[in-house]
Amino acid sequence: MAPVRIPRVGIGGPVGSGKTMLIEQIVPILSTKGYKVAIISNDVISKEDAERMRQNLATEKGLLPEELVIGVATGGCPHTAVREDPSINLSVVEELESKYNFLDLIFIESGGDNITTTFSPALADYFIYIIDVTGGDKYPRKRGLGIENCDLLVINKIDIAPYVGADLKIMERDAKIVRSNKPTVFVNSKTGKGVDLVVSHIIKEVLFDASPKTPVKN
Amino acid sequence: MMYMNIEIGNEDVSLLQMSDSFFPTGLYATSSGLEELSQVKKLKSKDIFHYISTYLKQVVGPSDCAALGNAYESCMKKDLTALLNVDESLYSMRLIEETRSASVRSGNQLLKCVSTFIKDKKMLKDYQNAISTGNATGIYPVSFGVACWSLGIQKNKAGLMLLYGFTVSIIGAALRLGIIQHFDGQKIIHELRPVILKSVLENIDRAISNIWQFAPGLDILQMKHEAMSSKMFIT
Repeated sequence: MAPVRIPRVGIGGPVGSGKTMLIEQIVPILSTKGYKVAIISNDVISKEDAERMRQNLATEKGLLPEELVIGVATGGCPHTAVREDPSINLSVVEELESKYNFLDLIFIESGGDNITTTFSPALADYFIYIIDVTGGDKYPRKRGLGIENCDLLVINKIDIAPYVGADLKIMERDAKIVRSNKPTVFVNSKTGKGVDLVVSHIIKEVLFDASPKTPVKN
Repeated sequence: MMYMNIEIGNEDVSLLQMSDSFFPTGLYATSSGLEELSQVKKLKSKDIFHYISTYLKQVVGPSDCAALGNAYESCMKKDLTALLNVDESLYSMRLIEETRSASVRSGNQLLKCVSTFIKDKKMLKDYQNAISTGNATGIYPVSFGVACWSLGIQKNKAGLMLLYGFTVSIIGAALRLGIIQHFDGQKIIHELRPVILKSVLENIDRAISNIWQFAPGLDILQMKHEAMSSKMFIT
């Protein structure tokens, strides 16, 4: 029997924008609701992010088995590994699909890159692009394929916006314009503020409000 | 005005397509141990030449190229059992886990890609079925041989493409690791032409019972790469 296709969410964004921390906030919320996930972490120079998530989400919190957090080296080409040649990521996804059919969702984190990052539709069904306020409130109107094309734009580190002179209202306005009203969510991944909205988008737009494959035991 | 009489055909276009690093197999993420070596030794352009040359003579020629040749012949004879034997033999010779899995992943993706536009080759389908049922691995050189046969590319040329592709993947890694500059890379490829050619001609018709590889230093490098805590490349 052919493996069942598991929905995939791609998360991309510049270095330090908070991709890993966003995943670390999303997974516990999904886990509480009974959803089982796996994480593939593409990294430019190390397996550090995968190790960190393995430590935080698997080893310490026990939210998923350690083998479901997988690091993929990209030969210095993180954008290539999720866009024009996603072969290695697709292989890892297919291996997960054949071994762990109970999974509800697979997260694929791209290595930090520039604002032109996008995910191949063959790899990710839904694309979240994350930026933060430290680049200034001009960031959304600078455009770039990631900001314009993603299904959900997440703007992180809103707590420090006043200290870097970033006006969130301007960012919201510009994001609406350049993204033709596609959704934008403001978060503080450090505290988790706003992350529940990101999870709602995922459940609605990726899982189509489906219940977890494995029913939650009361 | 004089015109040269050059015959070109679909095979030539397929040859360019399959030997292009743009073809999606993930090979850009492999350094074949060069990343590890670059951490412990300051490398120069001539070192890269010798590194690739040793690989071609001691590993890729007598094992990968020979396996490709046998895979190709098996397809010609419509002999699936022989093809699966080649697959198993080469897989067994991949000593290091990360190189084994990288090769299998690239091979599988290569076949999936080719099978989207080649629909009428039974051996290609049968090989893929064997992979999906766990009776074959799809290791890259064997998959490459099956794909080239399916596209009507000549066996010798398929061997050349395999070795050229391997060479380019290491040159690409050396560039991204900052060991050489872009002109150096092309110069090394140019200088490696006789090595590539000789390796293909010496090995493409090698019987499966005679395939071999011997490069313990390179094996140790790959093993050490596997254990690196911070790395940019899969192998």
